[in-house]
Amino acid sequence: MNLLIINTLPEAEPAAQQVICALAEKVDEYRVIHTAAMRIAPCVGCNCCWLKTPGVCALKDDYEQILKAYLEYDAAIFISGTSLGFIDHRTKNLIDRSIPLGTMYTHIVNGQMRHVPRYDKVFHFGLIYTGEADREYLELWLKRFALNFNSVSIGAFPVEKIQEVSLCI
Amino acid sequence: MHLTIISGATRPRERSNTAKIISVFLTGFQKCGHTAEVWYLSDRTSWAGTRAAFCENSNILFALPLYVENVPGTMLEFLESLPPKTTSGTRLSFLVQGGFPEASQGRCCECFLKTLPEQLGCAYGGTLIRGDMFSTGLLGKKHGSKMVQPFIEIGHSFGKYGYFHESIIVEYASPEYLSEKQIRQFQRLSKFSRWLMDIIAKRLGCTERLDAMPYDK
Repeated sequence: MNLLIINTLPEAEPAAQQVICALAEKVDEYRVIHTAAMRIAPCVGCNCCWLKTPGVCALKDDYEQILKAYLEYDAAIFISGTSLGFIDHRTKNLIDRSIPLGTMYTHIVNGQMRHVPRYDKVFHFGLIYTGEADREYLELWLKRFALNFNSVSIGAFPVEKIQEVSLCI
Repeated sequence: MHLTIISGATRPRERSNTAKIISVFLTGFQKCGHTAEVWYLSDRTSWAGTRAAFCENSNILFALPLYVENVPGTMLEFLESLPPKTTSGTRLSFLVQGGFPEASQGRCCECFLKTLPEQLGCAYGGTLIRGDMFSTGLLGKKHGSKMVQPFIEIGHSFGKYGYFHESIIVEYASPEYLSEKQIRQFQRLSKFSRWLMDIIAKRLGCTERLDAMPYDK
């Protein structure tokens, strides 16, 4: 398996380093993208990626390489801080920008309307977080997020349970 | 009652479906003789004022679009910056609008929103979820006005109770899921709705297929 690790914590943060080392040992190939110093704006809801330039975000910043990288790796794991019991806004902003992976077209999946995925690939997404959060909720949210892009959730794990991630990848 | 409404939408006010909804909501709300002020998080220069309004007022309503199963990242950033209230008496309510028709699509977000009042030292005034809002700003003014009409009644009810009464939440969140009949209907019209989306996209200047795969290897 090859793995994309997206770290939204500061690059030198010990927790991030610990997670990256642990994940790196478990996979054949990996790439780490540190987003803290990158220029990534929040999604502005313009819908250009659905209706004007399909699949391409209208915001021209450092995000495009992440969108491309999702397609090159078997799985993507976010390393995130938390706030208010949820992921923090840095990771949420990043995830809000993932909508070009879906199309404007809709279909029904398990009785609910969903966007038709843009790519044939089945993505795998996981989350490792630091700080206080409601793990059960994060699991639910990640499953819902994954569902939007014909994806599978690897799960949400507090950094202290990093060994559990190894069993899932 | 004086209500502070904070729009969590990221689109500029003039192109925001949430702003349209707020405007109509206020028509109903103000029929009860109440006053309101509206703050837009899409304008970052107003964040200090919005924070002050949150701290000073006791009836707060966040209106927001559903973004990837939760609040938009921008709104989350703002929420992170709020100091929890230390005195009781503030009520926090939420109005969530989504593109898909089913209210069930907003339940994951609602779970998170329910936790916020306690974390911010407030009481919970309910969450109203309204789906099928995607086309509000897409199919012309007449259609858009029709789509947001229910918010007059929703605003009026909010003015009457000071929170989202269970009856209004249930009435306007419908349908929770599409019925089998609605699903069959949707599937029958699937080709037509694709054709319609293609037309809208062309009008917006799109020259690619809507299912283009620009980064495919």
